[in-house]
Amino acid sequence: MKRIKILFTVVGLTLAVAASAQSQGQMRLNEYLVINTDDFQDDFGQQSAWFELFNASYGTVDIGGCYLSDDPTDLKKYQIPGSDVMTQIKPRQHALFWADNQPFRGTFHVNFDLANAKEIIFTKGDGKTIVDRIKVRHDLPENVSFGRTEDGIGSVDGKGEGWAVLDRTSPSTNNAMVDKAAKPDRMKQIDPYGWIMALTAMSVVFTALILLYFLFKAIGNANIKASNKKAAAAAGAASVAAPKTDFGEVPAETYAAIATAMHLYMVEEEAHDEEPFVVTMNPVDRTYTPWSTHIQGFRQTPTVIKKK
Amino acid sequence: MGNIVQNLQQFWQFTGFANCNFQYLIMICFGLIFLYLGIKKEWEPMLLVPIGFGILIGNIPLFQGLKVSVYEEGSVLNILYQGVKQGFYPPLIFLGIGAMTDFSALISNPKLLLIGAAAQFGIFGAYAISLAFGFDPAQAGAIGIIGGADGPTAIFLSSRLAPDMMGAIAVSAYSYMALVPVIQPPIMRLLTTNKERLIRMKPPRAVSPTEKKLFPIIGFLLTAFIVPSGIPLLGMLFFGNLIKESGVTKRLANTASGPLIDIVTILIGITVGASTQADQFLQLRSIWIFIIGALSFVIATFTGVLFVKFFNLFLKEGNKINPLIGNAGVSAVPDAARVSNNVGREYDPNNFLMMHAMGPNVAGVIGSAVAAGMLLGFLG
Repeated sequence: MKRIKILFTVVGLTLAVAASAQSQGQMRLNEYLVINTDDFQDDFGQQSAWFELFNASYGTVDIGGCYLSDDPTDLKKYQIPGSDVMTQIKPRQHALFWADNQPFRGTFHVNFDLANAKEIIFTKGDGKTIVDRIKVRHDLPENVSFGRTEDGIGSVDGKGEGWAVLDRTSPSTNNAMVDKAAKPDRMKQIDPYGWIMALTAMSVVFTALILLYFLFKAIGNANIKASNKKAAAAAGAASVAAPKTDFGEVPAETYAAIATAMHLYMVEEEAHDEEPFVVTMNPVDRTYTPWSTHIQGFRQTPTVIKKK
Repeated sequence: MGNIVQNLQQFWQFTGFANCNFQYLIMICFGLIFLYLGIKKEWEPMLLVPIGFGILIGNIPLFQGLKVSVYEEGSVLNILYQGVKQGFYPPLIFLGIGAMTDFSALISNPKLLLIGAAAQFGIFGAYAISLAFGFDPAQAGAIGIIGGADGPTAIFLSSRLAPDMMGAIAVSAYSYMALVPVIQPPIMRLLTTNKERLIRMKPPRAVSPTEKKLFPIIGFLLTAFIVPSGIPLLGMLFFGNLIKESGVTKRLANTASGPLIDIVTILIGITVGASTQADQFLQLRSIWIFIIGALSFVIATFTGVLFVKFFNLFLKEGNKINPLIGNAGVSAVPDAARVSNNVGREYDPNNFLMMHAMGPNVAGVIGSAVAAGMLLGFLG
């Protein structure tokens, strides 16, 4: 029972970690454009202000039921519909919202615009917990966006740390171009001798194996305790159930086994210590062979069913 | 008559003799040495024989256009080579390793896991050395993984970080795995005292089937959540072990640990060998890869043994670990564990360390897969 509890605890913890990793709290406001005259068009061919949400986690996040607002006193201004499959945002992907004040045009068209907005606020489904907010700058030129220099990185309190005027707009895509060679190059710059990598990676390897060590130490201890308990219970039951068969230190079954072996050896001569090393093959006079039996056939033997 | 002579002259141009140069001959010599070591000396024959013959296949001099070379798109060898290039052979090998591995020694004494972690210093020591020799970080990561003493992991990582160096890295990793009985014992003797070599460890406790079933599930969830980039290797390793221990998928376990791993070992060995074509392989950097690879094994053995000595400072008398099993943390299953056992028995013929050494040995497999995941995450 205890082991099952431990199993459930471990699974529960794992699921909790997984759930927290995929929570709406990992969503980030990532970029916005206030004056759109020659930039991205929506499905209706309109050029409106837009802003982008980014899923900074490594799990899919459902933002259905969450809220968007431009007013800190009314966090529930626009609720993202919960029944739209498009609100399932894949890991490290973006969702683009049109701030055109025309919510009837679809899930991704909100009921406010950015022309007069002070800030954009993303709130969890409870309508209270603000996940991210950013002040709206009205001094930006036309078709110039303001966003995080690296997707999902920076402050979430509206102070704009990690945000900058971007060189180009990038709706629904990465704000910084992801270069395949970027990672090794960056590593070369920050860690030319490899010590940072060595220490980081070794601490992760040790952490993983130390966690495994603690888990299996606990599971092992629980297992030893359980088997000791079982053994004690079995010993108790045996002493209660068979008090009369106690022949001192040797159990009665041992005497029975010895007696049977001696009987077989001395009387029935079925057991022997020396093998004759002779194999005798006698012909068996039997005409029957299973190859011809109907049971071995692939098909059932047809039977005639008589109608009554 | 003239036509026949012309045809024969043309045919001569097709032959290996006409296209041969000394580089091919050097590589053929390498292949023959591998075959000698595998067949005559029986050093890792399952690996060295296919690789050795693969080297012969890959180094028959020929001109391009025949569509037979391993690097020529569409050739049969090239199709088989995709398993190495795209990295789908290594996870299949890990599946088989998982289905063959008994983690009981590790489960019964989980502190041995830490030795497997300590030995991974070999990977990152080699990474730092490679950077010092001018390799870029991605190449350094691919070279460093040789210190994981795990052929499939080395192929998997190098195919992603430095595909052009994969042949040299794979051959280096497998060669040093075969040379574990030569490389490790002097280091083990150097770092241990006679008293330490005679330490007798407690026999491992019996592990219940439930614990054995839980290990791959928990082990996978934990390590994969920490290093998701290691999922292909960790997932297959632990899945293989689960089908072995579950007790209800015996046929799957038999296939994974028998025919499947045999087939993939043949394919991986022969194609890795064939990928060592002289023009691709005989370069100065290959020599550096071999030198750094050897150093990575040395560092891994050093850190494994020294870690046990350090660990023993905190353990009570009677619970101490024989430092001769520290070398087994480098992986190279089960050769490194066998080395621990053999060296231990040189000093006490009745001290059998094999079972104890299997703990850090399989922990090393997990550790190197986690380390590969880290390198892939940072550099891939």
